[in-house]
Amino acid sequence: MSKKRTKRYWKSLKERDAAPDVLNARADEFPEGGPRQFRRRDFLKATGFTLGVAFATGCSRAPVQRAIPLLSQSEEIVPGRSLFYASTCAGCSAGCGLLAKVRDGRPIKLEGNPQHPVSRGGLCATGQANILGLYDSQRLQHPLKDGKKSSWAEIDHEIQSELANVRRDHGAVRFLSGTITSPTTRAEIREFLAGFPEAHHVVYDPLSNSALLDAHEQTHGVRVLPRFHFDKAEVIVSFDADFLGTWISPVGYTADYRAGRDLDAKRVSYHVQFEPRMSVTGSKADRRLAVAPGEMGLLLTHLAQRVARKVGAPFVSPELEASSVDSVFLEELADRLCRARGRSLILCGTNDLQQQLLSNYLNHILGNYGSTLDIDKPSLQAQGSDKELGELLAELQDGKVKALFVYGANPAFDLPGGDGLAGALRKVPLLVSFAQRVDETAALARYVLPEQHYLESWNDAEPVSGLVSVSQPTIHPLGDARSLVESIATWNGKPKPAYDLVREHWKAEVFPRQKKESNFDAFWDRAVHDGVAEVESLPIKTREFNTQLVRPILKAQRPETGAFALVLYPTVAMLDGRNAYNPWLHELPDPITKVTWDNYASISPTAAQRLGVVDGDVVRLENDGGSPEAFELPVCIQPGQQDQVIAVALGYGSKLSARFAKVGPQWLDAIISVGDKGVVGLNAAPLLRLSDGVLQYDSAQVKVSRTGRQRELASTQTHNTLTVPKKLTPPGSGARSVVQETTLAAYLKDPHAGVEDHEEKEDLWPTDHPYPGPRWGMVIDQNACTGCSSCVIACQVENNIPVVGRDEIRRNREMHWLRIDRYYSEAESGQIEVAYEPLMCQQCENAPCETVCPVLATVHSEDGLNQQVYNRCIGTRYCANNCPYKGRRFNWFNYAHDDQLQNLVLNPDVAVRSRGVMEKCTFCVQRIQEAKIEAKRRGERVSDGAVQTACQQSCPAQAIYFGDLNDPNSQVSKMMANPRRYRVLEELNVRPAVGYLTIVRNCSQEGKEESKEEHHG
Amino acid sequence: MSAPRPKPSGLLQYLGSPFVTLVLVTALAFSLMILVPKFNAYALPGNQLGYEPTQPVAFSHRLHAGELQVQCLYCHSGAEKSRHGGIPAANVCMNCHRFVAAPLGAIHAEDDLAKKEKREPRRVVSPEIQKIYDALALNEKMQPDPAKPTAPITWVKVHNLPDFVYFDHRPHVNAGVACQKCHGPVETMERVRQVEDLSMGWCVNCHRGVDRAGLDGNGNFTSAPAPAAQGPVPVTHRVNASIDCSTCHY
Repeated sequence: MSKKRTKRYWKSLKERDAAPDVLNARADEFPEGGPRQFRRRDFLKATGFTLGVAFATGCSRAPVQRAIPLLSQSEEIVPGRSLFYASTCAGCSAGCGLLAKVRDGRPIKLEGNPQHPVSRGGLCATGQANILGLYDSQRLQHPLKDGKKSSWAEIDHEIQSELANVRRDHGAVRFLSGTITSPTTRAEIREFLAGFPEAHHVVYDPLSNSALLDAHEQTHGVRVLPRFHFDKAEVIVSFDADFLGTWISPVGYTADYRAGRDLDAKRVSYHVQFEPRMSVTGSKADRRLAVAPGEMGLLLTHLAQRVARKVGAPFVSPELEASSVDSVFLEELADRLCRARGRSLILCGTNDLQQQLLSNYLNHILGNYGSTLDIDKPSLQAQGSDKELGELLAELQDGKVKALFVYGANPAFDLPGGDGLAGALRKVPLLVSFAQRVDETAALARYVLPEQHYLESWNDAEPVSGLVSVSQPTIHPLGDARSLVESIATWNGKPKPAYDLVREHWKAEVFPRQKKESNFDAFWDRAVHDGVAEVESLPIKTREFNTQLVRPILKAQRPETGAFALVLYPTVAMLDGRNAYNPWLHELPDPITKVTWDNYASISPTAAQRLGVVDGDVVRLENDGGSPEAFELPVCIQPGQQDQVIAVALGYGSKLSARFAKVGPQWLDAIISVGDKGVVGLNAAPLLRLSDGVLQYDSAQVKVSRTGRQRELASTQTHNTLTVPKKLTPPGSGARSVVQETTLAAYLKDPHAGVEDHEEKEDLWPTDHPYPGPRWGMVIDQNACTGCSSCVIACQVENNIPVVGRDEIRRNREMHWLRIDRYYSEAESGQIEVAYEPLMCQQCENAPCETVCPVLATVHSEDGLNQQVYNRCIGTRYCANNCPYKGRRFNWFNYAHDDQLQNLVLNPDVAVRSRGVMEKCTFCVQRIQEAKIEAKRRGERVSDGAVQTACQQSCPAQAIYFGDLNDPNSQVSKMMANPRRYRVLEELNVRPAVGYLTIVRNCSQEGKEESKEEHHG
Repeated sequence: MSAPRPKPSGLLQYLGSPFVTLVLVTALAFSLMILVPKFNAYALPGNQLGYEPTQPVAFSHRLHAGELQVQCLYCHSGAEKSRHGGIPAANVCMNCHRFVAAPLGAIHAEDDLAKKEKREPRRVVSPEIQKIYDALALNEKMQPDPAKPTAPITWVKVHNLPDFVYFDHRPHVNAGVACQKCHGPVETMERVRQVEDLSMGWCVNCHRGVDRAGLDGNGNFTSAPAPAAQGPVPVTHRVNASIDCSTCHY
């Protein structure tokens, strides 16, 4: 099959334009560079010194090892065996279910709970990285009063006496928090505030969806967030809602979205995304249109007008400005939506009431309420109200608030207002902050009450109405912290442990909401065991859809010529900045830009050309509002972005990231990871606007100018580029691309479509690997993969992968065993398409690394693993140079393991590698060994699914299959036999044990999308 | 004519004489005779053969495992179900030592003495067993004493493998490998001593051996859960002592 390849894949714009330095550099596994070269004399000096030290240290005696058994060992605790406890993730308000792997009394890994109906076994990157927060040595260990160590008794006494004064004077008490899904906590706060004449609870989310809730209040009479059912939707139209990346509940949405794109059942949803910048969701869309933020409302109106006409619904729409989107396409889209009435879904991610109302209207006339949007059992994952926040801020400015409690939010950091807001907060006579670390708000507070990590305390959550879950402690608390419910219960005058509070609340409020179990203890035990219980949802009274308030948006708001529309967005890793303390997440390459350890100003290639800037050039953003501070950020050129948009990530520049001044190896040439201000990145929140009662993320206009300075971004984009050697490219055509894809139309005709067969030639290698037992293999479904990077963190936690810091990443020395290669390509329509290819060691049968190792430190095992023996490795790096997949990582340094508390997170089943040693993925061999030994103990075979690699376990899209290829009935064998399966760089004949399934885009080659209902059956 | 070289005086005048050479050679031979056997004690790095540290409690395996025939797995129950064989928790000791506080001889001696002195016999507690009670902060009535702090017993690890080796007790114990095969005749030891060098060559040789000749050397390839009497040994019951690197190193 010699088909002409038209599509080209490229990782960076330089590569697309075939810049010679990039093309040459990509062949290099270890590119040299940097300001200083290692000379021969340096080498000799270092060798001599190393030899001397080796001899000197070799003379010491082996240290005496001690073993301290438990005093009293309960039956289920066996040292060395891991136990899994079901709990609820509190990394964000989505409330995904998790299983905490507890080894010898300490949790070491968080995994998804497959029984959880919302998250369905997935867990995102931030959720998994949360475990590092537990072992953070800079976490608050005791309460603070005026910045000094205090005691709980003293603080309780003082706060209670001050509250008594406030109560007597009828002063205003405000409780400010992010979304709280815990029913017990909410009840406690309610009870607490009820004790004051003038008090209420203000909820806001730094990544606000307030307008979405407000719109439902206007159209349905209840302020709720609907639960979206992506699995039931056949046509999904999203207006800047990054639901696979950062929007509300990405893990649950990804699982549902994937269920709605089932190629085997030939049920594939059609997904259109309108967005100003390239988001994770946009990168998966079948049709993605780059639209300026000011035009989003106009587009919604255009679509509403067309759909209303087709379904015969009333919609007043006088003169409409023409939109930049092809009207033929909009007409087609409206047709499709009408055909999929009740099976479509319109989403709007902008925080704008009018746009949300239009989106509700579209869903209403398409009959989606009750099918793809559920408001009877709504989601409780976002409850913030920007209007109330605005009122509170006004009260703060006026000095009306006498007591303010801040929990789960950091207003001094994530809200606009800067020093003015800080000053207003300082004016509050009693400012109490519940925080795990001294963040920007806690630094202003008189009392800082250390909040327990959610793995240390009892709690609960109700992410979706009727779905209650338990959060249980998995470790003895590490400091003198106290959970919020305990603090409030103390001030309510009934001090009790959190366990009693949660249990009593469940007995009184949750237990009566179900009928299955008649005994509370049994109900509770089951809920604690499963981590989740389904009960009746709270009744909601909606009214008839109110179309009165839906108004067309007639005009687009375009930035003035020469100016840019500013879009502020959250990244998968940092979200609103709550994870700024976490080095794993700073080092996680952004799914799209692949940049680490920084935020930056994303602009389109055209705009970059116009401004005359290249990647890394620092530009100055000037707010037209006349913000006194100028924002200077390095540029990152982003293909697929709208030309008049400049996008900056929120959540950076937090005080919490100041600790990373010393991250990574501190050697002669090291450059520190933090920026000029001593923190990682720049806080973009001052550019946010709180106007018209909502937080606006995309309304500002900025003028952009060059500063002439440079700040090289630590991007992994061009690292580890795969290339097919010239001599192996078939005559007459270019090299076979490393990504293979097809369209739904072609797939339905021939499931094998898009898979390029390679010419079978006689094999020079003897088959010297008989594989008598199992042969481990993996299949990765690239069509399901969303690039969310959950697997990258899963691998990092499981395999004790060190953090190297910004400077080392700049030098191509990142240590992630699993990376996600992101390729761009250009469709005929000019749309930039994205392909994700998770790549790790491919466990080749004819492994090129094995033949070149002079000390046999990497050899093939009888079950198909390409073993890496760290203690045998002498660090010649020959193997990495010979690896076509560039899946090997070299320890250039002894990466820091000085923090004894943080070391508790290390997996005791995996060696911590030292300097000069090569390492790589081994399919989580420690898990394979565990499963084999356990199976043997029971006298059974290793059953299919008994071994789950870390990356596979937590994948929200379930894109990774792993198992025994010698077992024809295993899931992975079946996936290997899938006609979509291909292997990366198959022509090298190294016979990798990892298969990839082609990407199937729901559009036909002619640029006309195929609709799936035509293909049913 | 040059002046003759002056003759060395003092002890130096004997240098070069055959007598001195003889003395030196003899001395060298003697010192080698003394040193060479000592070299055996200087083991390779990591080789702890013969290591026999003093333990905080003078616990006697000879008495418990040898004389009293307590099964190894009674105390080291982790060996069956966990990577670590495990040192028993103090509450395991208390299963017996709640009732046994001293050697029988000591109790008889106290009884005799009491009879002689015409008084009630006093409670005899051996000082070593007292250490368990102290660890658990028990009072004389064997009840926890809240006034005393509990303090776990800090044992000294005898069999210690490097950090890059992942040894797992489970497959060995469940395959029926006797504990003594690696730990030596523990039931004869007053204080536990390392009797095998626990080197990689030693491990691999055994793994190779059992794969060729079976666990008992007579072709018995089956591990603990016995298969059906006749027919070939099912794969799940084969010994399969792997010599892949990733069996122990990952």
